[in-house]
Amino acid sequence: MADLPNRLERPLSVAAAIAALSGKTNKVVPVAGATWIMRAGSRGEKIDGTFVDLSAIPDLSDIDVAKDKVSIGAMATQDVIAKGLAGHADMAALMMATGYTANPAIRRAATIGGNICTADFAASDIVPALLALDAEVEIVSPDGTSLMSMAEFLSTRRSLGRAVLVTRIVIPRRLQASTHSRITLRKAGDYPVANLSAAITVAEDRTIRTAAVAVGGVEPVAKRWTGFENALIGRNLESGEFREIAGNYTDEFEGRDDTGAPGWYRVRLLPALADRAFRFLTKSTA
Amino acid sequence: MTTSLMINGEERSLTCDPRTPLVDVLRNELRLTGTRNVCREGYCGACSVHVDGKPMSSCLLPVGTLEGRDIVTIEGISQGDKLDVIQQAFIDLDVIQCGMCFPGMVMTLRPFLRDNPSPSRDAVKFALVGNVCRCTGYERIIDAVMSVVDATEVTE
Amino acid sequence: MSDQSFADKAVMDFPRRDAHDKVTGRTRFTVDIGGSEVLHAALLRSDHASARIIKLDVEPARKMPGVRAIATGSDVPGRYGIGIADYTLLAKDVVRYHGEPIAAIAADTLEQARAALDAIELELEPLPASLTMADSLAENATLVHPDWQDYEVLFEGGVRGGNIAWEATVERGDTDAAFAREDVTIVEGFYEVGRQSHVPFEPRAAVASFEDGRYHIHASTQVPWTVRTVTARVLGVPESHVRVTVPTVGGGFGLKFDASIEPCAAVLARMTGRPVSIINSRREEQMTCLSRENAEIRIRSAVTSEGEIVGREATVLMDCGAYGGEQVFLTTMTTHTLGGNYKLGAVRICSRAVYTNTPPNGAFRACNGVYNTFALERHTDEIADAIGMDRMEFRRRHVLGDQDISATGQVYDGDVLAPMLERMEVLRAKSGSRKDLAGNRFYGEATTVGTWLIFVGPSAATVNLNYDGSATLVTTGVELGQGTMMQALPQIVAANLGIAPEDVIVKTADTDAAGRDLGVGGGRTTVSIGAASEAACTVVRDKLLGVASEILQTPKKDLVLARGRIEIKGRPGSGTTIQQVVAEAESRFGPISGSGSFTTPPFECMPGCTAGHFIDAIEPVFAVHNCELAIDPDTGKVDILAYRVVQDVGRALNPRAIHGQIQGGVVQGFGYALHEEITINETGAFDQTGFENYLLPLATDSIPVEFDLYEGAPAVGPFGTKGAGEIPILNVAAAIGCAVANATGKQVSSMPLTPPKIAALIDDCNPPLQHDHISPVWSENTIERK
Ligand SMILES: Cc1cc2nc3c(=O)[nH]c(=O)nc-3n(C[C@H](O)[C@H](O)[C@H](O)COP(=O)(O)OP(=O)(O)OC[C@H]3O[C@@H](n4cnc5c(N)ncnc54)[C@H](O)[C@@H]3O)c2cc1C
Ligand code: FES
Ligand code: FES
Repeated sequence: MADLPNRLERPLSVAAAIAALSGKTNKVVPVAGATWIMRAGSRGEKIDGTFVDLSAIPDLSDIDVAKDKVSIGAMATQDVIAKGLAGHADMAALMMATGYTANPAIRRAATIGGNICTADFAASDIVPALLALDAEVEIVSPDGTSLMSMAEFLSTRRSLGRAVLVTRIVIPRRLQASTHSRITLRKAGDYPVANLSAAITVAEDRTIRTAAVAVGGVEPVAKRWTGFENALIGRNLESGEFREIAGNYTDEFEGRDDTGAPGWYRVRLLPALADRAFRFLTKSTA
Repeated sequence: MTTSLMINGEERSLTCDPRTPLVDVLRNELRLTGTRNVCREGYCGACSVHVDGKPMSSCLLPVGTLEGRDIVTIEGISQGDKLDVIQQAFIDLDVIQCGMCFPGMVMTLRPFLRDNPSPSRDAVKFALVGNVCRCTGYERIIDAVMSVVDATEVTE
Repeated sequence: MSDQSFADKAVMDFPRRDAHDKVTGRTRFTVDIGGSEVLHAALLRSDHASARIIKLDVEPARKMPGVRAIATGSDVPGRYGIGIADYTLLAKDVVRYHGEPIAAIAADTLEQARAALDAIELELEPLPASLTMADSLAENATLVHPDWQDYEVLFEGGVRGGNIAWEATVERGDTDAAFAREDVTIVEGFYEVGRQSHVPFEPRAAVASFEDGRYHIHASTQVPWTVRTVTARVLGVPESHVRVTVPTVGGGFGLKFDASIEPCAAVLARMTGRPVSIINSRREEQMTCLSRENAEIRIRSAVTSEGEIVGREATVLMDCGAYGGEQVFLTTMTTHTLGGNYKLGAVRICSRAVYTNTPPNGAFRACNGVYNTFALERHTDEIADAIGMDRMEFRRRHVLGDQDISATGQVYDGDVLAPMLERMEVLRAKSGSRKDLAGNRFYGEATTVGTWLIFVGPSAATVNLNYDGSATLVTTGVELGQGTMMQALPQIVAANLGIAPEDVIVKTADTDAAGRDLGVGGGRTTVSIGAASEAACTVVRDKLLGVASEILQTPKKDLVLARGRIEIKGRPGSGTTIQQVVAEAESRFGPISGSGSFTTPPFECMPGCTAGHFIDAIEPVFAVHNCELAIDPDTGKVDILAYRVVQDVGRALNPRAIHGQIQGGVVQGFGYALHEEITINETGAFDQTGFENYLLPLATDSIPVEFDLYEGAPAVGPFGTKGAGEIPILNVAAAIGCAVANATGKQVSSMPLTPPKIAALIDDCNPPLQHDHISPVWSENTIERK
C-alpha cells in the first residue's frame, strides 16, 4: 500500500515538527498523549489525517522548578508534573489538577500541552489551575517563538493555525499558596462537573493581598472569577465566610447544560467549591 | 511505515496503519487476546499493558508512537504455570466472575504493589479508579489484594 | 426431589475451574474468536427515531474493497418476538428507533466493512415520532406499529391495542368496596424511573458459519435455544438447521436474554461460505442496549388505622421501546413484585408495555422487580407515615407470612419475611450504626423488603458416567461469570454420585448436544438445570447401584456412594470403586448414562383473577436490605455508609460464590440508584454513548456489603436451593430511595438519584410528578375486555 500518505511522522525537533505540520496538503494533527485524539470513535468521529507524534522530541517533557519560575515542557505528563511539583505550596493547584484527576493510567499518558490545546474540553482541571497561577504559554509557529498569557491563549487557541505548537508552560512564582478543588458525580474517575483553582498571597496579619480564582467545567471555557477575587482582597483569611461571599458573585456564570449535569447545578456548586478551596488555603498558609 | 518494538520480550515489526491503537494490533494481528477491548476510552483499564514497565491503556496508544518501546501484555507476565501472587490470590479467594476485567486488574496491580508494598484499602481503591469491573462489586478484589500485602490491614 | 442425605456433601466453597485462564487472559470469549478465515461484519443503523426508507441502494457498497456480502431486510424476512411477532431483524420500509439496523456488510476486515457502510445510499424521510410514553398514550398518538393487528400472536391471552404492546392485569376481590370503606386512609403515590444499561464487558457478539447445510452460531448469549428459534424464524428455515454453541460469556445481566445480531451473522455466513463475526462496538452496544426499561407507576392504597391494606390498585407503564421484546413478558412480573411483600385485601394491578420510537428495552437482573420494589417500598413508607405508624413496625406486622395469599391468590407456605426482618435487626445490631461517619451531612437509614420469583421453566440434562470414574454433565447452561456452571452444578452432580466435584466435567452449551432449556437468567440455572441434573443423576445412580448390588451381593438400599467408591453401609472399605462397577456395567449392557428434566412445578393461583399473564403463580424469593447513608447538602452526593442484606437462599450450596453475587449485585444497584442515567434526546438517541458519560460504579464507590444468608425457606430446587444471583439487586434502589427520603425529609419518587436530582430535592426545586396519561380511575388505564 505504498500510495497511502504517510500516516504518522516522528519529528526529532520542534522545527522539524513545525515543518511536518506546515508542509502537508492533507489534514495533519499534532499528537501528544493521544488520550483525546484516540477517543474520536466514541465521540462519533473518525481518526483522520497524518499524526505528527511529538514524543520523540527531546526536552519537550522536562520540568524546571527554579526560584522565580516553574517551566514545564508541553509533553510533560500529568504524573510527572504532579511528582515534580510536590511540596511546593504555591504550585499545589497544578499539582492537584494533574495528580488527583483522571485515573492513574491516563495520568501517565495525558500531557499538559494536549490538555490545554483541546478546545472542546470544557471540564479540564489543568486550565483553571494555570489561569489561577497566571501561567504563560510558549508557542512556536513558522514565524518564531512567542509567549502569551493563559487568558489570551484560551481566546485564540481555536484560530492559531495548523502549524502552531505549544512547547512550554511558564509559571511565575509570585504567589504563596494555591489549591484546586473539584466535584465529580462519582467519588472519582469522571470529569469534574465544576472545579475551582485559587492562588493567594497573604500578609503577616493574614489579610489577603492578592487572590486569583479560576473556575472550570461550568462554562464551555474556564475563566477567572473576578467579582469574588476583588471581594477577597483585604479580607482576613481567618474570618471565613468564603461560602457566603462567593454566593454573591455566582451570577458571573452561565452554567452549561450537558449530559450528566444541568447548568444550574454546576453554578450551585460554586460557593461550596470556594469554601473548600479557601479553607484549604487557610490551613496551608498558617 | 514499519514500527519496531518489543512485545513480551520478542522483537516485532509491524506494518499496519501506525495510528491503530495498540490493543487492536495485539488482539487482531498478534492474537494476544488476553488484553481486552472494552470501552476504548481510557476508562475501564481492561486493555492495560505495561509500556517500559508502566501500566497504560493500550486502546489510546497509536502503535506508531511506540517505536523502540518495551511492551508486556498479560500473556507476558506469567511464565508457564507460575502465577503472580495477586493472580493466585484472585483464584484462591474465588474473586473472579466473568473475568473480562481481570487481566487489566493484574496489569495495574502488579506494578502498584511493587511500588506500594503495604497500601491501605483506600489507596488500593484509588489505584483502581481506572479499572472497572461490572460483575464483582470490587470489595472481594480488594480483599484479595489486602491478603497479599499486609495481613494486619485486612478489614472484614 | 432431592435426597437430603446428599445435601451436606453438596455444600462447599468449591473453587472455579475457569479462574486460572481468566486471570491469565487465556479464556477465549466469542469476541476472541478470529483468524484470517473469519470475515467481519458491520451494521448500517438508522439515525432517525421514526422514518420511511425512501431509498436503500447497497450496490455501490458491493464495489468497495474487501466487501464479500451484504444483507438487507429481504434476506431476513421473518418476524419474531415474545408474545407477539413484531420484531424484524433488519428494518424494511420504515425505521422505528435511532440505531435500528438496516443492512449488514461482511468484509475481509472490520475497517473495510465500516468503510463500505458509508457507500450505501440510504434516504430516510422523517415521520412523526413518539419518544415518551406520554406521547404514545396521547389521544390521536401516532402508532409505532400501525399494523399491530396483523402480527402473529405467539402467546395467547394478552390484551393489546394501538401503542399498548401488551397488558397484564390482575383483579382479586372488590377493590371499589375497599376504597369506599369509611375506616380507611387512602394513600396515593407516583413514581418514575429511568433506564439502566447492563454494560457486560463482552458486548453482544456472534460468529456464524454455514456447515453441511446447517448454520452454526457461536454466540455470546444467555439463551442458546432462543437464538436457535429466532434464527430459524427470521431465515425461514427449520429450527433443526441451526446449531448454537456458547463459549465462555463475558457477562450478561439479562442483556443477552434475547437474540439480536446472531441471525445477521448467520445469513452473511451462508452468503459468503465463510465464518462471519459480528461484534457490537461499545458505542453501538451502549446506544442500542436492551436496557432495564424506564417506567411510570401510580399506586393507591386503602389502609386501616392498624395498617391493614384492604385495597390496593396500581398502574405500571413500562416503556418497551420500538418493539415488544421482554417487556411483553415482564408485564407479568409486576403482579408478583409490586403485588408482593405485603398482605393485601382486594387488589387490582395493571401493567402495560408501551411502544415508543426509542431503542427497545429488555431484561436486566431482577428486571422490573427493582423499580416496582422501589415504588412499593416508598409507598409503604408513605402509608406508615400517613397512619402514624413506625415504618419498621408496619413492615413487621404486614409482610406476607405462612398461608397468606399473594396478589393472584396463591397460598404461600412458611413464615419467611418476618424472621428475615428479625435477622436484619440482629445483623444491624452486630455491626452498629454508622451515623457518626455522616458528620455534618444529612444522615438517613432505611430497611426495605422485596419479593422476587424463581423463574423456572424447562431444562434438560444428561450425565455420562465415564470409564475413569469421572462424570460429564451435558446441558445448555451457560457460564456468564455467575459461577453456576463452574460451582453449583458440579457440586450437585458430585454429591449425588459420590465423586469429587473436580471429577465432574461440565460441557459448554451446544444445542446439538443437550435438550431444550429456557436460558440462563432470572436466578433459574441452579434450580432448573440443577434439578434436571439431579434427575439425571438418579438414573445413573440407579444403574450403578444395580450392578454394584450384584457384585457386592448386597441390596441397593444398603449401598452408599462416597469418595468415588460404593460401600456397604456402615462398613467403610468393604465395597469397590465406581470405576470397577462402570467397567462391569460396560461388559454387561454398555456405558452408564442418564437423562433428566425439569419444568415449572404446578403452583396454583386463584382461577380467573389474571389476564395476560405468562406466569400466574410462583415460587417466591425474598430479600431484606438495610442502608445507612450520608448526603452532602452542598453537592447532593450520596455516600453509602453501610449496606446490609438478608437473603432468602433456600440452601447456600457455595456460600463464597453467593457472597460474590451479593456484593456484585448490590453495587450494580448502587449504580442504578445513584449515577447510571440514560437520557433520550430529541433525535430519539441516548445521550450516554460510552463509559465517559454512562457512569458505572468504580472501586471508590463500593463498600463491603454485610450479609446473612437465610436458609430453610420452602424451595423446589435441588437440596432446597434457590437462585442467588438475580435477587441481590432487587431492593437496592428501594433501600437507597427510602434512606434518601429519610435523610432529607423529602418525597423521593424517582430514580436515579443523581447529585443534581438530590440537590434539587433539597432545594425543593423538583416539580411534583404528574402523569396525566395515567388516569386516576384505574379501569380507564386498561383496555376494555370483551
Ligand atoms: C478516562 C479519562 C479521564 C480524564 N479525566 C480528566 C480530568 O478529570 N481532568 C482533566 O483535566 N483531564 C482529564 N482527562 C484528559 C483530557 O480529557 C484529555 O484527554 C487530555 O488532556 C489530552 O491530552 P493528550 O496529551 O493526551 O492530548 P492529545 O490527545 O495528544 O491531543 C489533544 C489535542 O491537542 C492537540 N495538541 C496536543 N499537544 C499539542 C501541542 N503541544 N501543541 C499544539 N497542539 C497540541 C492535538 O492535536 C489534539 O487536538 C481524562 C482523559 C481520559 C481518557
Ligand atoms: S478499553 Fe482501554 S481503557 Fe477501556
Ligand atoms: S469479573 Fe466481569 S467485569 Fe470484572
